[in-house]
Amino acid sequence: MRIGLWGTVLLLAAPVAFMLAFFAAPFTAVAVSSLHDPDGGWSLANYVRLITDPYYLKALWTTLTIALWVTVITMLLGYPLAYFMAFRIRNRWLKRLLYIVVVTPLFTSNVVRAFSWIILLGRNGFVNDMLLWLNLVDKPLPMLFNKVSIVIGLSYIMLPFMVLSVAAILQNIDVRLKDAARDLGAGPLTTFLNVTLPLSLPGVISGALMVFTLCVSAYVTPSILSGGREVVMSMLVFQQYATVLNFSFGATLAVALLITAFLLLGTYQVARFGFQQSRKLRGLHAA
Amino acid sequence: MSQDLIRLDNISRRFGTVTALADISLTVRRGEFLALLGPSGCGKTTLLRMIAGFLDPFSGQLSIGGKRMNNVPPDHRPVNTVFQNYALFPHMDVAENIAFGLKRKRLPRAEIRSRVKEALAMVGMEAFATRWPAELSGGQQQRVALARAIVNRPEVLLLDEPLAALDLKLRKRMQIELKRLHERLGMTFILVTHDQEEALTIADRIVVMDHGRIAQIGTGQEIYDTPTNRFVADFIGEANLLPITVGNGGIGCPGLDLPGDMQAAPHGRDSAIMIRPENIRLAGETLPAGWVTGQGKLRQKIFRGVGWRLYVELPGGDEIAIDTKESGAELIEPGGDVRFGWPADRCRVLAQ
Repeated sequence: MRIGLWGTVLLLAAPVAFMLAFFAAPFTAVAVSSLHDPDGGWSLANYVRLITDPYYLKALWTTLTIALWVTVITMLLGYPLAYFMAFRIRNRWLKRLLYIVVVTPLFTSNVVRAFSWIILLGRNGFVNDMLLWLNLVDKPLPMLFNKVSIVIGLSYIMLPFMVLSVAAILQNIDVRLKDAARDLGAGPLTTFLNVTLPLSLPGVISGALMVFTLCVSAYVTPSILSGGREVVMSMLVFQQYATVLNFSFGATLAVALLITAFLLLGTYQVARFGFQQSRKLRGLHAA
Repeated sequence: MSQDLIRLDNISRRFGTVTALADISLTVRRGEFLALLGPSGCGKTTLLRMIAGFLDPFSGQLSIGGKRMNNVPPDHRPVNTVFQNYALFPHMDVAENIAFGLKRKRLPRAEIRSRVKEALAMVGMEAFATRWPAELSGGQQQRVALARAIVNRPEVLLLDEPLAALDLKLRKRMQIELKRLHERLGMTFILVTHDQEEALTIADRIVVMDHGRIAQIGTGQEIYDTPTNRFVADFIGEANLLPITVGNGGIGCPGLDLPGDMQAAPHGRDSAIMIRPENIRLAGETLPAGWVTGQGKLRQKIFRGVGWRLYVELPGGDEIAIDTKESGAELIEPGGDVRFGWPADRCRVLAQ
């Protein structure tokens, strides 16, 4: 079906209007407010404060490291699960059931789920009890109210996003490509590394982007599981808006977080493009 | 070196309750071009996948080059496959696709490079080394898939309906190219096809399969001229299958006069006389002695370019198709009497 110019405009009108009204406009307002001083004049003072105060830079660093850890962990846990769901489960109904099981946690409240982790991860919680009982440790590990608990709590919440995005791609990989690789002399592992994995990378990447961005902006889970001892950017933003009532500095923190995330994603895209180019050149020489 | 490259002994395989292969025994000779021919669901692809190593037989023995191959995975078999949908790796360019098998053998880079080049030249795709599979037409992808397989110099090349997706003209050309490639390489080729013309055109020997069994094995001419059962007669080319009647003088067929020795031919209760339409002659006044003769009423007459196709109703109600180029044909009108006949050795009495 061909859609004419007016059809295209019509179809795009609603989403574009939505994005303008509820994303671009508020974000512009936030960005503008970050450039104001308390008296309403234009000023870069907020940004100077952010860059010169190690407290804020440390919070930014904490936020990004937590997001990165969660991304890596959901990747390592989610990929095998997605692989299993896509290739090992033959029964259609069992497959659907598994998808439902993966998605169901998303229906429960983050608050409830974060508090459950407090019970599990405490000094006398289930996890430490198990570790002690198995003699893996001789005294309880400090797992609660630090980065570890935040990373665990967020990984648990983010896992479905990674699994779904990887499984969606794996599901569409032609299984005959695996046959072809085996036929050409590749063992199961070589086949995975040379065929399945590279073809599933788009799913891993989109999953990672989703998890990373959601983690950077996550508020509920980090604030409950930090016990106030770790500070991430979203907590500071909330503090500035809700407690300190310094809206323009809150806006600065939010903008800074967004810019940093964009810079990271941009760097990644450039690296990826460079890698593809170099691969293409190698391809030319191989021939 | 033994002449037999692949031996299958009493191979059987089921899928659930469906019997895919039943008691298949077959020898593939070194260097021959063998076609596995049959309608869809006859087990030909299952058999090919079994030789490739993607399926194992439930019972029976499979050996390649004298080595038992049951339960040997595909990557440890001296065979390569050209898949039906080509199965080119979409994330590798043409040269990388072709080099895939050679890299697995850890050959030196220089050798990989020269062999890839050689394989590309063999299929006439030198100019496409750095293209991506998605940029190629179906025919070009087919050539790349072919190059990717033969570059490994396998003992056996398996072709799973490789031409099915191509249009008729290209398919005809590729058939001839495949045959030439086979002659040049001297490799053993096994081709799966449902297209009897394709099998007749390129294969040295044809294995006709039906419901998981081998219906007949032979050269194209053997299978066409002397089919051993009704399925083969009907599947390869066109055939009239006229049910016989059994009397005390031997077999007969309403409307046909059978020579004496043919009446005594071995037969079963539901045997039929098989005669190909192009082997039937229209009779003027007399037909030579020893011919099968018959007559009936013309039901329909169709002009087919090279000649006429006549549908004649026999007195028993059966219909017989006759292809003729004889000049008298256009004079007969529907409803008119047709006399015809054929040399007795052109027809066969076939059991079910």
